[in-house]
Amino acid sequence: MKEYKVVVLGSGGVGKSALTVKFVSGTFMEKYDPTIEDFYRKEIEVDSAPSVLEILDTAGTEQFASMRDLYIKNGQGFVIVFSITSLQTFQDIKTMREQIIRVKGIEKIPMILVGNKADLDQQREVPSSEGSALAQFWGCPFLETSAKSTQNVNEVFIEIVREMNTSPMKEKGGCCQIL
Amino acid sequence: MQVVAHRGVLCVMEEEKSVVVGVCIRAATPDRLIQICVENFGPDELDEQSEEYCRVFFLMHQWFMKSEELAQAFIDFYQGCDETITCDLPDCQHLPINDDCPVQQYKVKICRAVRYWIQQNPVHFAMDSPLRKATDRLGQLLLAEGNTKLKQLVDLSQVPSYDWMRNMSVRNPSNHNRKVSLVFNHLEPEELADQLTYLEYKAFRRIHFSDYKNYAVTASLKENPKLERSIGLFNGLSQWVQCMILSKTTPQQRADVITKFSNVSKRLRVLQNFNTLMAIVGGLTHSALARLSKTNACLPSETQKTLMEFTELLSSNNNFSNYRKVYHQCVDFKIPILGVHLKDLISLHTALPDRVEGNLINFRKMAQLSLMLQELTRLQRVDNIPVDANMDLVNTLRLSLDLNYTEDEIYELSLAREPRGSVSSPTTPTKPVMFADWISGVSPPDPNTINKHVHDMVEAVFKNYDHDKDRFISHAEFEAIAGNFPFIDSFYVLDADKDGMISKDEMKTYFIRANCHALRNSFKHAFHETTYFKPTFCIHCTGLLWGIIKQGWKCKECSINAHKHCKDLVVMECRKGMAAKRTDSISNGSVSNDLTYSAKRKISQRHKQAQLLAQSSENKAGSNTGMQNNQNNQKDQVFQDDGPREGEFYEEQHLLYDRWLKSEEAREQLIAENSQLRARLEVANDQILILKSHIGVIRQNTIAFILEQMDALHMQRDSEV
Ligand SMILES: Nc1nc2c(ncn2[C@@H]2O[C@H](COP(=O)(O)OP(=O)(O)O)[C@@H](O)[C@H]2O)c(=O)[nH]1
Ligand SMILES: [Mg+2]
Ligand SMILES: [Zn+2]
Ligand SMILES: [Zn+2]
Ligand SMILES: [Zn+2]
Repeated sequence: MKEYKVVVLGSGGVGKSALTVKFVSGTFMEKYDPTIEDFYRKEIEVDSAPSVLEILDTAGTEQFASMRDLYIKNGQGFVIVFSITSLQTFQDIKTMREQIIRVKGIEKIPMILVGNKADLDQQREVPSSEGSALAQFWGCPFLETSAKSTQNVNEVFIEIVREMNTSPMKEKGGCCQIL
Repeated sequence: MQVVAHRGVLCVMEEEKSVVVGVCIRAATPDRLIQICVENFGPDELDEQSEEYCRVFFLMHQWFMKSEELAQAFIDFYQGCDETITCDLPDCQHLPINDDCPVQQYKVKICRAVRYWIQQNPVHFAMDSPLRKATDRLGQLLLAEGNTKLKQLVDLSQVPSYDWMRNMSVRNPSNHNRKVSLVFNHLEPEELADQLTYLEYKAFRRIHFSDYKNYAVTASLKENPKLERSIGLFNGLSQWVQCMILSKTTPQQRADVITKFSNVSKRLRVLQNFNTLMAIVGGLTHSALARLSKTNACLPSETQKTLMEFTELLSSNNNFSNYRKVYHQCVDFKIPILGVHLKDLISLHTALPDRVEGNLINFRKMAQLSLMLQELTRLQRVDNIPVDANMDLVNTLRLSLDLNYTEDEIYELSLAREPRGSVSSPTTPTKPVMFADWISGVSPPDPNTINKHVHDMVEAVFKNYDHDKDRFISHAEFEAIAGNFPFIDSFYVLDADKDGMISKDEMKTYFIRANCHALRNSFKHAFHETTYFKPTFCIHCTGLLWGIIKQGWKCKECSINAHKHCKDLVVMECRKGMAAKRTDSISNGSVSNDLTYSAKRKISQRHKQAQLLAQSSENKAGSNTGMQNNQNNQKDQVFQDDGPREGEFYEEQHLLYDRWLKSEEAREQLIAENSQLRARLEVANDQILILKSHIGVIRQNTIAFILEQMDALHMQRDSEV
């Protein structure tokens, strides 16, 4: 079975944990323990190929600048999240792709842009068209989600697996190496 | 268990399988939780199960209510006892002397619960004055009833002061006769690791339960200064590591610094200080350093191996499983990677609601959170930390770590050291990018903190380096210390009065300014290429801005001048309005407020000297070696050179003046033209308005016409039918 490492990035409060928890736990999970190894692992079947996702939720560590490069080094696919109810969070992630490229040292990186909190449409500050435009500029898919209503939550992770399948990251020399 | 009903409907759900051994409450109202707590305090000691419940309850109550509210609830229960508890004893007055009276017995339980709270969580009481007041109210109530025995149970005078929440006391501060260098180059890696651990622990142990809670709930550092300070230290340290390496000019020198920090890491691992370890390894493996292939080629294999091991240990793989395993095996003193544990808290908080089944407190969640928070708060209370603090060194380091660069600036430095396109990294992108907003949540330390840090650092430096106690240190001594602060200005910038020595004030003034510059987002200079008509010096290297035109760059706001290659290195904040005050040399800043006679004399000397130098060094093309030369020599030189050069100079100036006049004329013409065009635009706008109203009329007429025509057609049809 193929294994994929996915990193969820975005400013604090956009719903990274909410999306991740919704995805790994499905609708019911009585006892949570975010400290155990298996908590963030989940099997999914994409295009009839079963695979295992290991998800790294970066919520709570956004402010620790030097941990970010370590995360990015470890990741293979990136879910970049903003909240459609906050223009600031959209501005924050605009440089994210450059940062990932800088760390990875390659241009073609599997990623997906996600506008979360789509259920709060009346508080929307970021039009769908802006999200699509940025995704188009990055050359990646764009989805609007709601961790609350679970809209598109699974789709995000299915899409990122597809991205990783179509453009597998080749870790070649350069700045990927650890010193 | 006696079920007592008061203060509304009580409700409780019990656990089938408990998360924390002994805690079998799934959810309940706050009142019911308090009651269960009180019930546990019978005449005997708490059994293990009750103890577990009470521990979780008192630790976690701040998640769902204020401590003063809890204390008030105890008071309310106490006062309600007479009605809620039935006493069947004949003729019982429920007085303190009635040992068998259930009312009195319940009161004893309440007071024992409060005593347990004070004993187990004294810090709640030390830090919270509304809570102290409420507890005092309970004490007054007990005295009023003549219950002096119980009053002793809720006595707060034994609560320690918790000064360490503000200041951490130093262990054995007196036995530091051993000489320690404050200079990075001479500092042993182990010593550095020890002092960093002291700083880290000091920041870590101040973080309070409520700081963790607020961060988990709001996902932001707003109004959370203690956590912000700790994270600021973490990021500052990572940046310092990167800057210390990038400040070295050759790959071998840079590799040597990396090796030194890798040895610091080894010691941090031994000290079980994982947070600082993460900050340093994060700095060492940062993309700004990872791309330096020439430097990395110089690393000894031992260093490479160490770094590989630590990267593996701290890897986020499998939910940080390597780190978690090692961390749990460590006993005694240890400092956790704060980021990882904050992440766990936030995940748990996101996954589980605070309230369930309507409005019941989700006590299972509280039990789970308590596992994490208890560990964090326990670690904060370790008193014998395994390092000796050297306050001079701590103060020097602390200021080094205050310096606040953006990721972007550091990456630029990396590119400057080993440019792209060399053998290094053919695949890196070609565009420098901005990172700054991404970590904008952590603000640089406030000016007061920095002033204090500067003060402490300078005092420490002078204590150790001003051997003859004349309050001055020499050039050589300065150069040694300056190595701890990558990219600070040259000796000549600090030595404002150019006497070849640096005074305490000069050093303080300089560092306070350099640090204000750390808030540089709002202080960035607006440099533009400039032609100077008289000799001008670079603020950074103090060399002459040479050439005939466009000799250097001037800031539009504050009028400082610098070489093209120096302008990005200037460590001085941009102050609007300084332009008028600033002369052609650097300003004296705040020193000038309390100038002594000798200082004034020195300054006037300096002005003279600067003028002379200005003229003499023009043909030396930027060298600043003349600074300390004998004045008389220079004078001779100047007078020899004077005549012919002066002439050339004015010719050049004349030409430029002409050009300037012409461009002024052109500008005035353009302004005139502009206002004409504006007038025409207004006329045109008026015409548009008139035309618009015409259209309206025409449209109405057209519609009226069409309707008439239709009517006519209708009539025609009708009549035909
Ligand atoms: N309405 C709504 N709220 C959400 C959604 N996702 C997250 N939230 C809320 O936003 C807050 C922050 O979510 P969290 O997952 O902690 O954000 P993180 O810091 O990015 O991990 C929480 O109060 C969530 O309940 C969503 O899709 N819709
Ligand atoms: Mg001096
Ligand atoms: Zn009685
Ligand atoms: Zn210069
Ligand atoms: Zn300026």
